[in-house]
Amino acid sequence: MPVLLEMKNIHKVYPNGTVANRGIDLTVHEGEIHALVGENGAGKSTLMKVLFGLEAPTSGTILYEGREVRFNGPKDAIRHGLGMVHQHFMLVPSLTVSENIVLGEEPKRGPRNLFRDRSKELQDVERLIATYGLNVNPHAKVETIPVGQKQRVEILKVLYRGAKLIIMDEPTAVLTPQETDELFHSIRALVRGGHTIIFITHKLREVMEISDRITVLRAGRSIGTLLTRETTKEEISRLMVGREVLLRVEKTPAQPKETVLQVRNLSAKDSKGSLALKNVSFEIRAGEVLGIAGVEGNGQTELVETLTGLRKAESGEILYMGRNLAGLGAADIRRMQIGHIPEDRQTSGACLTSSIVENLVLDHYRSREFKRGPFLNHGKMKAFAKELMQRFDVRAQSEDVPAGSLSGGNLQKVVVARELSKNPKLLIASQPTRGVDIGAIEFIHREILKQRDNGAAVLVVSAELSEVMALSDRIAVLYNGEIVAVLDNTPELTEEEIGSYMLGVKRQGQEAAS
Amino acid sequence: MNASRSLTLELGGILVTVAAALLCGSVVIMLTSSEPLVAIRAMFVDPLTSAFNIGTILNKAVPLILTGLALAVVFQTGVFSMGAEGQLYVGAFVGALVGVYGASLPPLLHFPLILLAAMAGAALYGAIPGILKAYLNADEVVTTLMLNFVAILTTSYLVNNPFKAEGVGGFARMEYIDKDVLLPKIIPGTNAHAGIFISLAAILVVYLLLYKTSIGYEIRLVGKNPQFAKYGGINTRKVVVLSVMISAALAGCAGIVETLGIQQTFKDNFSTGLGFDGIIIALLGRNHPAGVLAAALFYAYIQVGAQTMQFNSDMPREVAVIIQVLLVLFVTAQAIFAYLHQRMARRKAVM
Amino acid sequence: MVWETLWNQIVDLTLFAVLLRVMTPILLSALGGLISEIGGTINIGLEGLMLLAAFSSIAAGSAAGSWVVAVLTGVAVAMLVSAVMGFFSLKMNVDIIIAGFAVNLFGSGFTIFLMSKIYGLTGNYSPADAPRIPTVRIPLVEDVPVLGQLLSGHNLMVWIALLSVWFCIVLIYKTPYGVHLRAVGQAPQAAQSLGISVVRIKFTALLWSGAFAGLAGSFLSNGLTNMFVKDMTGGTGFLALAVVLLGNRNPVGVLIGSVVFGLASAIATIVQTIPGSPIPSQFIQLIPYVVTILALVFFALRQKRLAALKP
Repeated sequence: MPVLLEMKNIHKVYPNGTVANRGIDLTVHEGEIHALVGENGAGKSTLMKVLFGLEAPTSGTILYEGREVRFNGPKDAIRHGLGMVHQHFMLVPSLTVSENIVLGEEPKRGPRNLFRDRSKELQDVERLIATYGLNVNPHAKVETIPVGQKQRVEILKVLYRGAKLIIMDEPTAVLTPQETDELFHSIRALVRGGHTIIFITHKLREVMEISDRITVLRAGRSIGTLLTRETTKEEISRLMVGREVLLRVEKTPAQPKETVLQVRNLSAKDSKGSLALKNVSFEIRAGEVLGIAGVEGNGQTELVETLTGLRKAESGEILYMGRNLAGLGAADIRRMQIGHIPEDRQTSGACLTSSIVENLVLDHYRSREFKRGPFLNHGKMKAFAKELMQRFDVRAQSEDVPAGSLSGGNLQKVVVARELSKNPKLLIASQPTRGVDIGAIEFIHREILKQRDNGAAVLVVSAELSEVMALSDRIAVLYNGEIVAVLDNTPELTEEEIGSYMLGVKRQGQEAAS
Repeated sequence: MNASRSLTLELGGILVTVAAALLCGSVVIMLTSSEPLVAIRAMFVDPLTSAFNIGTILNKAVPLILTGLALAVVFQTGVFSMGAEGQLYVGAFVGALVGVYGASLPPLLHFPLILLAAMAGAALYGAIPGILKAYLNADEVVTTLMLNFVAILTTSYLVNNPFKAEGVGGFARMEYIDKDVLLPKIIPGTNAHAGIFISLAAILVVYLLLYKTSIGYEIRLVGKNPQFAKYGGINTRKVVVLSVMISAALAGCAGIVETLGIQQTFKDNFSTGLGFDGIIIALLGRNHPAGVLAAALFYAYIQVGAQTMQFNSDMPREVAVIIQVLLVLFVTAQAIFAYLHQRMARRKAVM
Repeated sequence: MVWETLWNQIVDLTLFAVLLRVMTPILLSALGGLISEIGGTINIGLEGLMLLAAFSSIAAGSAAGSWVVAVLTGVAVAMLVSAVMGFFSLKMNVDIIIAGFAVNLFGSGFTIFLMSKIYGLTGNYSPADAPRIPTVRIPLVEDVPVLGQLLSGHNLMVWIALLSVWFCIVLIYKTPYGVHLRAVGQAPQAAQSLGISVVRIKFTALLWSGAFAGLAGSFLSNGLTNMFVKDMTGGTGFLALAVVLLGNRNPVGVLIGSVVFGLASAIATIVQTIPGSPIPSQFIQLIPYVVTILALVFFALRQKRLAALKP
């Protein structure tokens, strides 16, 4: 099959210094289904943004249909026959399916083409639906149809504009198994009709089922391209997860004592209403670190939110030193010496327009020791902040500057300082070093381990496998909302092994499904 | 960029916009007046040259400070309540009721009771849009605008019918409130009344409330980052309602202070848009009590200047409106520039 | 006494005529508000736009001796100011509410300023020979008993207002522009990703609201009355916003909402002129505002219930 797309040596460095793509090569043949796999942060979305003209590459070339191209925006790419089905749908809820499909390119009629040609619109849309077997009701308002059909509308949008190369970004992330089957059916029909598909995903089972060839990305590089029929999930997983640099911090062996947290059969729904956490059970003892490994989007966010009172559980118990936390609000939970380093420091973890002091006193502004009569004792608060900033090595001009002026690492240290200053009995750290520089990572890791050595029970949730392995005494793996493995973090444990649980290849207590 | 440098930059920016607006206003005067220099002198110099004029400036500033504070509080919580005008009427009416019908009380008890009643009545009225916003997410701009009309029409009906004073034609009013509880004049040779003390006290109280109490901490935090507030366990809904109620109480105070200081009783349709002026004051003062004080005095100065200009030259006082509009537009546009500038400086520092 | 008068006026269709006259500025400005609201740029500056249109139209009209010049001037002025409003809110990032607020301030003050500067008047400007927007009398039909009064003798602007409802239906639902407008208002990211310029659509939506406010304002000073009085809009611009909400954001709903508000206004006017009427006019004027708040609460509750039901 002739080559349709060639991306050669693509480099992309963002203005803030992040290197997203380090010399990636991607070759896609006409008429194939090409899977692009990699963990979060491997560089898949950036690569596609570069292809689509949403970002300009720092260097590298793109050859489409044999000719060198550089698209200067989505409209340009669309005109050349590319189409993107986004992970987060771009649909107008109150408009109908057919209106959404033709949006921006409506068939027109009448004097000066001022009016919509609704009969032609319907005709065109119905023809598309019939040709590709993507069944939707063109008259239905988009807000009323289920997710699987919304995706079909997105695909039809792309086909309506004449796309030959269709990029699908994590299309099955929001689908039920049955909807996924229907999607695959449609994809095969599209290929039979002469289209080419790039399928971005990290779900290996699907990769094996639908793709012809696979390109694996890892840490901004392309690791290799495989023929699906000649490879296995284990091999792909090994390529995806294998690490070159390991972050190891000095760690004394754990001496766990009494059980601090016991989670029993916890289930919770996500923001869209589907079950994200399914009957999860685990326990953490004082003086140990339990790491939760898993690709993002497998229920970690919902788990942390349920534990910290920011989300209501559907069922199950959260026993903290004997008390059931399920149903309590964040205020109560924070008062029980439970620390929470949230995964998004810029929205939940801090207030960027407030000063560092105001960020640090979140748990103390009501307590008597920081008050003088009815008023806040600013002197005491400043002293408190200064002391914390020193202890946690927060580098800033003063405690009064807005938190938003701090670098990522320093801001995270503020968050860590606030949570750890409570001397928590239970510390929940979610993506504690995401977007943080190496120096700060080391510091934060050391502080977390200090808490553990002081007898706290620590839960570390991270999509960075190396971080989980560096900090944890035991590792539980979340896949699809379930705990599929609980492993002791011995020196013999490899990333590949954990990776195979993370990617659904293996399941503890079961034979690997091939 | 450190805190004091960015503050100086902000102050500098505001001064520049104020100067720009004044300059444009002067240009308009020069273009349309047959004696522009007279007009400009009357507008900018005269208000400050006589004690009487300064007294008038203070009087005009009194309700502006209070409505400015009202809007400052609610804007700091991120709520766009435009209901100060209606809350002002409710406060004035309830306060006047207590004023007229509680005349048998000793003045030392009567006066604070009037103020309290006015503020409480207005606060309750403000709770309506507050609860609708916090618990039903009903758009506060429309609810408060509607409730303005409801308050103005209802009090108008009440003062025209059951509570109308005897033998009054034309614009209806209640019976006059006893002199003992009216605000006395404080500067001889002027009309300046004691309401200025109440307004200044309010500035102090609001400053302490916003920056030195735990409630103030919550009010400001919810406005700056509601998600962070929720993460910290703050009940954002209660804070929103409380903030709107405090704002309404301040607006109600503005109403009763105007009543006790100038009107001497509740009069039908007495407000000339004081509630809406408060929006401008809060914007100019950047929602800070000190800024509100400065903005209210400046605004009052412009208003008095426009009046003296009309009196002494061929320019109508509506020139002040042109300056006010320019101020509003320039200040809010400038705010965005300052914010963007800060953002860019921050990003450079990170790299 | 009140009921009799009222009933008589209903029967001889004077109430109907008054209703149409009173309803017209509300309907026109509400249609303008509707378009900008659908496009995601709520225009609270309709008051100011109408005042500017009212003043400029009668000034130009009496100078040129033509009502056509009057109406065109009013519309042009309102559109010009809404273009400036668009510039400040879309390019200079001034909040759209604040921009509308500034327009209201400006409209009120500047018209008084001009009235004083140009004519040396304060309060009102009533030129002796100001041309009025003509009434439409249909020959033959006007002699038919009931039908005649229903159809004939109404001001031209009344007909324009009613036709505008149909115009807006066509604009919003039957043109590509209307689809883009709805898309931009609801999901600007989706629209932008398909190459629709969100800024351009929002800007034109504001221009439309200016045009309709211009018609409304011109009618106030050249049709409903024959003069310009300072602040003569009396809250109609805010009423229009309430009508948009009450009408559930569609042209027919806006028409119905305008009828409700217009009816309340008309009845209140009649009641006011009758001495010793038991129903105070303020109560009647109150009703539409209270109804709007109740409608808002109703819609908000419904939203909540729908969100809770989502699977």
